[in-house]
Amino acid sequence: MALDLQMPVLVVDDYKTMIRIIRNLLKQLGFEDVDDAADGTEALEKMKQRKYGLVISDWNMEPMTGYELLKQVRADAGLCKTPFIMVTAESKTENVIAAKKAGVNNYIVKPFNAQTLKGKIDAVFSE
Amino acid sequence: MAAIQKENVARLIEFLEESRARKDDVTLNDVMGLAEVMARSMKDYIDAVQPAVTQELMEISDEICRMKQEIVQLRATDIKENRIPEAGRELDAIVEATESATHTIMEAAETIMSADPDDADTYQVVVQHKIMEIFEACAFQDITGQRISKVVGTLNYIDERVNSFVKRLRMDEVEDAPLEETAEEKRRRELILHGPQHEGEGVSQEDVDAMLEVFAQDDIDKLFG
Repeated sequence: MALDLQMPVLVVDDYKTMIRIIRNLLKQLGFEDVDDAADGTEALEKMKQRKYGLVISDWNMEPMTGYELLKQVRADAGLCKTPFIMVTAESKTENVIAAKKAGVNNYIVKPFNAQTLKGKIDAVFSE
Repeated sequence: MAAIQKENVARLIEFLEESRARKDDVTLNDVMGLAEVMARSMKDYIDAVQPAVTQELMEISDEICRMKQEIVQLRATDIKENRIPEAGRELDAIVEATESATHTIMEAAETIMSADPDDADTYQVVVQHKIMEIFEACAFQDITGQRISKVVGTLNYIDERVNSFVKRLRMDEVEDAPLEETAEEKRRRELILHGPQHEGEGVSQEDVDAMLEVFAQDDIDKLFG
């Protein structure tokens, strides 16, 4: 899978500030087309309407968490191949294992920096 | 054998009628009040029958009086009506202040990011102006620090009173009743929602990277039986 800076990226987080931070970091990394959603339900609706090249999602959101979103995406034949990075403050071992088991492509622990985000995006697209 | 005195029976009837007239749920205070009236009403009768029982009843009555004093010392009404709502207002103000400061800082940073460095003079003015705004916005830390101290003060106040109440009533010798899991707790358990961990408690980014590299799907499946 090649990294395409023109591809649409979906950022899912219930904190507008975090969306703004990730959006700015992605902009700095060269991504132009960044969309956002406030929780898993909204993200899933958007993903069914538009093909995103990458999803970057928080875990702890209501009503649908990022973990539930990940499982639904992987269970949907049309969406299951979408690269998915979890960006979250949930840093217990069981969270990382559950995310990996559910099919996450990478996992970033908050707080994070631009270098970590870039490194994980690069890693996902070099798989 | 001494009979229960008329005035004591009248006091008991008066108490029960008062309680019924209120039509409210029976409170702990009502139960203690009833026990007190009963103990006094029965005193003369039981005095004549068995002095040891009288002594025990008097001790029960004293204990009830002491419990009432402890409840008064707990200042539950003050905690419920003043201190907890005030702490809530402080926390709301902290959220607002941090949101506002973050917004100001991010806006300044975005303005700097989008400024044209080729126009050196304008760029310098914009950067200096926005950096001043960032410094000013950081003043929120002082105010929020003071607000957090007030909330911590309230928590300590409640902690002291509840602890003292528990000790004086010797409730620390009693095992806690099992807690039923709430719908929210169930959701948090099922969706693995722990929230942010303290320094040194969660896994670091390096740990996560190592786990993602090491754990093949088979290893993970084994962990889940």
